[in-house]
Amino acid sequence: MRLSRRIIAATAALTLLAGTVACSKEDDAAGDKQIDVWIAFTDYRLDWAKARADEFNAKHPEYPVVISGYDSYEVLFDAVSAAIEKGTPPEIVQYFEAATQDARDAVNKDGEPLFVSVQAAINGRADILGEPVVLEDVVDAARNYYTTDGQFSSMPWNTSTTLFYSNQSLLKKAKVDKVPETWDEIEAACAKILKLADAPKHCISWPNHGWLPEQAVAQQGGLIADNENGRAGRAQNIDYTSEELLNFVKWEKELYDNGTYYYSGKQNDWDGPQNAFAAQEVGFLMTSAGDATAIVGAGKDGGFDVEVSRMPYNGDVPYAGNLIGGATLWLTADQGDAKQDGSLAFMQFLNNPKNAADWHKTTGYIPITKAAGALLEQEGWFTENPYQKVATEQLALANGTPAATGALLGSFVSIRAVLTQAIEDVLVSGADPVERFTKAQEDAQKLLTDYNALYGG
Amino acid sequence: MEADVKTVRRRPRRRTIHIHITLIVICAVLCAPVVYALLGATQNNSQLLNFRLSPGEFLGDNFSVVWNDRDLWRYMLNSAVMSALIATGKAITGILAGLAFVYFRFPGRSIVFVLVLITLMMPTEVSILALFRIVDDLGMSDSLAGLTVPFLASATAAFLFRQHFANLPANLSEAAQLDGANPLQFLWRVLIPMSWNVTGALFVIQFLFGWNMYLWPLLSVSGSENQVVQVGLASLQAAGEGQSYGPLLMGALVASVPPILVFLALQRPFMTGFALTRDK
Amino acid sequence: MPIYPLMLPLFAAVTLIGALVGWTVWRNAGLSGRRGALVVAPAGFLGPLLTMVPMEACTFEPERTGLDIAVGIVAFTSGAAVLIAATAWIGRALSKPGGWANLDDRAEAGSFRGGAAAAMALLLPTLAVLAVFLYWPLFETLRLSTQLTRRGNPIERFSCVDNYTELLGPTAEWWLLVPLAALLVTAVGAELARRADKVGSGLLAPRLRRVRGWLTVVVVIAAAASVFGPSYRSVFLTTMILTSGTVLIGLAAGLGIALLVSQPIKGRAIYRTLLIWPFAVSPPIAGILFFVMFDPLTGIAGHVFEALTPWDMPNYRTDPVLARGLVIMASVWKTLGFTILFYIAGLQNVSTNMLEAARLDGANGWQRLRYFIVPSLTPITFFLVVTNVTYAFFEIFGTISYLTEGGPSGATVDAMTSVVQSSEWVGDGAARSLVLFVMVLAVTAWQFRATGRRVHYGG
Repeated sequence: MRLSRRIIAATAALTLLAGTVACSKEDDAAGDKQIDVWIAFTDYRLDWAKARADEFNAKHPEYPVVISGYDSYEVLFDAVSAAIEKGTPPEIVQYFEAATQDARDAVNKDGEPLFVSVQAAINGRADILGEPVVLEDVVDAARNYYTTDGQFSSMPWNTSTTLFYSNQSLLKKAKVDKVPETWDEIEAACAKILKLADAPKHCISWPNHGWLPEQAVAQQGGLIADNENGRAGRAQNIDYTSEELLNFVKWEKELYDNGTYYYSGKQNDWDGPQNAFAAQEVGFLMTSAGDATAIVGAGKDGGFDVEVSRMPYNGDVPYAGNLIGGATLWLTADQGDAKQDGSLAFMQFLNNPKNAADWHKTTGYIPITKAAGALLEQEGWFTENPYQKVATEQLALANGTPAATGALLGSFVSIRAVLTQAIEDVLVSGADPVERFTKAQEDAQKLLTDYNALYGG
Repeated sequence: MEADVKTVRRRPRRRTIHIHITLIVICAVLCAPVVYALLGATQNNSQLLNFRLSPGEFLGDNFSVVWNDRDLWRYMLNSAVMSALIATGKAITGILAGLAFVYFRFPGRSIVFVLVLITLMMPTEVSILALFRIVDDLGMSDSLAGLTVPFLASATAAFLFRQHFANLPANLSEAAQLDGANPLQFLWRVLIPMSWNVTGALFVIQFLFGWNMYLWPLLSVSGSENQVVQVGLASLQAAGEGQSYGPLLMGALVASVPPILVFLALQRPFMTGFALTRDK
Repeated sequence: MPIYPLMLPLFAAVTLIGALVGWTVWRNAGLSGRRGALVVAPAGFLGPLLTMVPMEACTFEPERTGLDIAVGIVAFTSGAAVLIAATAWIGRALSKPGGWANLDDRAEAGSFRGGAAAAMALLLPTLAVLAVFLYWPLFETLRLSTQLTRRGNPIERFSCVDNYTELLGPTAEWWLLVPLAALLVTAVGAELARRADKVGSGLLAPRLRRVRGWLTVVVVIAAAASVFGPSYRSVFLTTMILTSGTVLIGLAAGLGIALLVSQPIKGRAIYRTLLIWPFAVSPPIAGILFFVMFDPLTGIAGHVFEALTPWDMPNYRTDPVLARGLVIMASVWKTLGFTILFYIAGLQNVSTNMLEAARLDGANGWQRLRYFIVPSLTPITFFLVVTNVTYAFFEIFGTISYLTEGGPSGATVDAMTSVVQSSEWVGDGAARSLVLFVMVLAVTAWQFRATGRRVHYGG
């Protein structure tokens, strides 16, 4: 058996090699000034962040910043949980808005809070390691969402809201002369589009993600949790059977049942609906403002015009406002002052007016600081690309109530998963919305109760 | 073989044509997913969305995205190192355990043996969440150690060698003892040279097992630095704007090359290994 | 550990069972039954402490529900069973003349002296890995399943058996009663047929017995399904559907293809290679390939389907039946090579002479397959069933994870997927893991029963 003998020889060599690799890894882990930044992007946004990190490293070689990308917020959330359990969390973590309460409650093995408030760590300084502090300049929508108990605890980075994208070329063909603004207007427009001779199979799509129904609830002025959506005190009770939520679910089901709505079939699938829109399989798309640049670009490639407008609302009830979405950068505790300043400096650098403006142009996320907005205005960006202003304008319409600010909940990620599962069941297996959401209410309530039991709510 | 020859001669030739046609159709169906993947790996999204059967011109681009931008090479290297370590580790621990079970007598040998045996009913997967916490507590998660150490020994490997040694002539060890060899010398000079077949078989099986392992790396590795290829592929789902099919297919193909080559080249040892574990 | 009144009869019962087991085992070994009873009865009495002490007997607290008590009784008796089995086995060996030596195997080959120390040193790596990474995690899983705890957070709260009762909710549905009734009828029928036909030449009795065997499997599955509450019931049934689909379709197709490729034709080696390579592809990659092929927007499957038929390709991501079918299809595709490989090897051992004789006797192709080929392949079939069931339990997860992510509407969430999906709440995940463990034990038990004496260890 010559072959096997060769395999074994090769293996022995490999084993040695592996040993060497493992040892060398130990060595560079020793570089304790390294700032690990974990973010939930693996696409061009990761490349953008890595490019900024390289620039930062050139300016501050003493604080090497290393960016790691994760597939989604949910995966990153798990990875951070795992790293916390292991006791080696990164220095900076991108947590999405739904994980805000979890981040506030997170503790390490000794029961100490895992994150420190960015505002407190900055402690009124105007610049850190020569990077001007921009936290105080953050736009109100983000500031309100992330300010909890008077503390602006994390550094906003990517902030978006839900927008509405229309295939203008298709609309013209169907003689729809105005982009629909309400649910009823969507139905009317879709009726016309689906009657076209070469009509697409479906008319509208959006991801089955908890964020969209939450937006719809907020628009109608509804709450999803008690204690003012968890902003006046820790939320104790979920409300998944509210009229506002059921209105949306019933509307979605109606659209699905009559073939108007295209469901990609996967929960939390941002790509499926976007691809359907790009392939002109649907004429309307509701999704994050963070994809605006990409979607308008896909329209150009596919030879159709894309109109960007406000997220449609229920015209039967007064409009309260739309929520932000996106994520903030959290600062882990116990880094030591020097390293912590390095981390803070990177956060400020990443969001300085020039970078924030560039981030906005690259992605479509709103200009996170007023200075970045002013810079873009000055460059004439919005005159050239008026659609890029829609998100900022939509957020400015919010009436400032807890409904429009958004909920703060523990275990929000799992609770959202209950919601998306319920919606999928209503659509795909034809479950009755009221019955199914009564069950969802129970499941979600159990998660919140368990969470509060653990974290001493 | 002789019987085969006779039947061929006796049967009219046309009957085998049907078999050939059926087999060609079956092979085509079984190969279709990979042929389609080869096609898709040459196309970009708009070509895939507009469906065409001719290859696109993005083979190089897709490969470059996958290999350089998304670090597939690192995942592949991690997978290779992990699989090789697991396969080697199981071979070594298995040989040692086999030696102990066959050539030593000690009180309670049956108890030890049954304790090893019972683990066959305890797949790692049923306690994977707890295993994760334990590996974490030992400070090994998110590392090569965490990926390999829990799999460095197994009941299967121990039984494989126990069975193999038990089938060797009984007087081997007696002869060795008369020559004054100690057990390790006996192992080195006699047993190992007689076990290349089994070792090779075990190695192939365990290499494939390691390369295709998915759940454990998914749970235990969080960063991309130590990630293996089966999990790393997930990052190719969105390697551009929106779903990226071309790079995903490219990654799937590249990741399948090593195990398919190993499997096809070493089919025979693979079969031997399974045949041996079967009649344990 | 507190003692509640409900536990007293239970203790009495397991002590009695221990005594009976001991008596029987010792008697069967030709030893004094009374001594056996005396040795094993205490094991029956103490065994429950294995589970009750860590749980603080919480399920027997006065205000507990019937479901809690039922789970408690299972935990109580499991502890007793483990200790009774261990004591009976070791105790019997020690009671026989020779004592400790009975727990040493007969030596297969010449033995080195040097004794236990050297042997243990050689076994140490194996034992250490198995102890730390298999035994310990299993005990830890047991412990965690009684905790309320969340991944990434060190806080734990004891929650008794809530994690289990969440999964349960026994109902006796008609689909348990129907097969049960059918089983009863068949069993009675088989018995009557056997009595009526003392000569044993009739075909009715063995056929009925075979039907009874199948019905038993159905009843066990239906009974298990009826124990679970609605949410886990779908997980259990999905596991059964995916497993049986993968195994049955895979084995049938594999045997058919192996028969074809075993024909004396040219180019067998090439065909064989083209047929078996998908085995080396990993389950996640099988998921990726089918994901892209059946993608509702870009997939080739849709284009082919729409070119060949007047209908639109239904989207498997919104159709529960199709989603399950596709998962099975991907798994069959991935495992088929393995099945073919082993059936080809098995067919080489089927006696050509016997087949030739059968042919001369006028047996047609189907009869030769049914009465000669399939029976002589039984050991291989059995091996393949076990391997493929294991694959279906643990490895399909990788395919599901890329192909459907458990959707639509939870239709492809199998037991393993449900463990991973609940990994945020570790206690819940641990309880689900142990349910999966019980399924593994059931398959192992079936495996032992079916192989009977063919599998024997320790000698």
